[in-house]
Amino acid sequence: MGILRLSHVDITVPDLDLASAYYTGVMGLEITEQTADRTFFKCWDEEDHHSLAVRYDPRVGIDRFAFKVERADDLAEIERRVERYGFRVQRMSHGEEVGQGESIRFETPSGHEMELVHDVERVGSRIGKLNPNIVPAGLQGIAPPRMDHLLINAEEVGEATRFYMDVLGFRLTEQLLGGDGHQIGVWMERSHSPHDLAVVNGPNGALHHFAFWLDDWDHVRQAADILAYNAIQVDVGPTRHGVTRGNTIYFFDPMGTRNEVFTGGYRPDPDFPTITWTEDNIGRAVFYYEGEVNERFVTVHT
Amino acid sequence: MGILRLSHAELRVPDLELSTAYYTEVVGLIETAREDDRVFLKGWDEQQHHCVILRYAPTYGLETLGFKVQDAADLDELAGRVEAAGIPVKRFGAGELGPGSGETVRFTAGSGHVIDLVHAMEQVGNALPLHNPPPEPQGMVGMHPHRIDHIFLMCEDVDGITAFFVDVLGFRLTEQILADDGHQLVTFLERTHTAHDIAFVTGPNGAFHHVAFWVDDWNDLRRSADICAYHGVRIDAGPTRHGATRGWGLYFFDPAGNRNEVYTGGYWADPDREPITWTEAEMGRAVFYYEGVVDQSFLTVHS
Repeated sequence: MGILRLSHVDITVPDLDLASAYYTGVMGLEITEQTADRTFFKCWDEEDHHSLAVRYDPRVGIDRFAFKVERADDLAEIERRVERYGFRVQRMSHGEEVGQGESIRFETPSGHEMELVHDVERVGSRIGKLNPNIVPAGLQGIAPPRMDHLLINAEEVGEATRFYMDVLGFRLTEQLLGGDGHQIGVWMERSHSPHDLAVVNGPNGALHHFAFWLDDWDHVRQAADILAYNAIQVDVGPTRHGVTRGNTIYFFDPMGTRNEVFTGGYRPDPDFPTITWTEDNIGRAVFYYEGEVNERFVTVHT
Repeated sequence: MGILRLSHAELRVPDLELSTAYYTEVVGLIETAREDDRVFLKGWDEQQHHCVILRYAPTYGLETLGFKVQDAADLDELAGRVEAAGIPVKRFGAGELGPGSGETVRFTAGSGHVIDLVHAMEQVGNALPLHNPPPEPQGMVGMHPHRIDHIFLMCEDVDGITAFFVDVLGFRLTEQILADDGHQLVTFLERTHTAHDIAFVTGPNGAFHHVAFWVDDWNDLRRSADICAYHGVRIDAGPTRHGATRGWGLYFFDPAGNRNEVYTGGYWADPDREPITWTEAEMGRAVFYYEGVVDQSFLTVHS
């Protein structure tokens, strides 16, 4: 019941051809559909229509992010709760959006457009459901099996967190507290992973990054090789997070949206006790090996 | 709501000291309590009191297995459903079943295994603080898996026990191996959004195939194999990969002859994931993806 996981991130790019070349050739995603001004991508192990949509726009940015709910009637239930909280909900009917049926869209306190969707076109993974191989042959680029999470910015992290937890049912796995006790960053989950959605202090409506899941640390190393070969600008890593315990690399797509590849972490059930980081430990919390956060990581977002 | 995950397994061992030494020094679990005839152990990253209980007995095998439920009301709800399926249940208060034990509903499943549903086992915390924790503690010994991961049991009627776990206990089927005549040879079931928390394979009722502990990655399996070899622990299979679950595994035996596994990898299984089916002809690849064949001892040796 309720939200299952991150379904798709919809971003804007000033060059659709460059975006397609990067997200297929370097990242190794598959194109599932193209329209005049949009391209839809999925990872090889995903069965739903898309996990990334790019739309042509002169500016780099984010249109919205979407989470998948388990049952059709979850949409009506969450619609009521969002409206009771004071936000207007827009109903999208079947045929209005590529690759999916009915959905709801609303603005969140962090100034983002969020979508919840149940009825997603199932295109299946490339290995099928009968005697499947473990990975398909002929993958190119980094080839993550799936999208994992996203990190957004908010001016009032505490207020945004209350909305995501109380109205949408997210569970808090970790938090970074400022010296005066307010939340600077929060990590929340629905999928029994360390995070599906994280919110860090910054301008409302901004995207910090979205992340793809990799198999393990060796896959992270291989991803670093592929990024270097293709002259992709690496932001940070390969390194490890204190928060989530994950292993990671951050880098920018050629248009400037930050991407991450991520693996590891723990498997929190709903009884997981929240971990708290204090501001004096922010360096280790974010980059456990370096012990400090670089200025670009804190200030650059799209 | 409902069952969260595999909580613990109670294993019979004829030499309590030897088995305790093995599980603490070779596997690297942490001893949390001791009675005259039982030793309680946990993985370093687990918050709750124990995930393995060793029980002195003149034989080997599985005494009980436990699942953790989320809310106290889940015990009543699930007890009612188990009774409605014609299986009597017994209830125990917190502490009644030994150190750390929570309120428990106990019953014997159709597969012949004694199952405990537990709420609120004592929380002792993991080996890390909840403020500014490092990703892992230092100075651990042996394989030091994070936690118990899943259990693999045998029974005569895999179709029957699978239907019970799905319909009565709320498990979801992730994968199945079907015999040529269509009946289920092996089934994989989950509650934790992982590839499996429990699996059943055709064999004698009440039999125990293995209990698995989680490690970080493939490199930890290599290290675990080194540790087995160093201590003269007999390796049964691996390090290798499973077709079913896509996980990597290493199998070996404790000194009593109970099979252990260290396991990592696999996929994330949300409730909208459709089950994978393997046919009998592909069973070799389903179990051991690299070798493509299942050796006889893996299929027949159990405790």
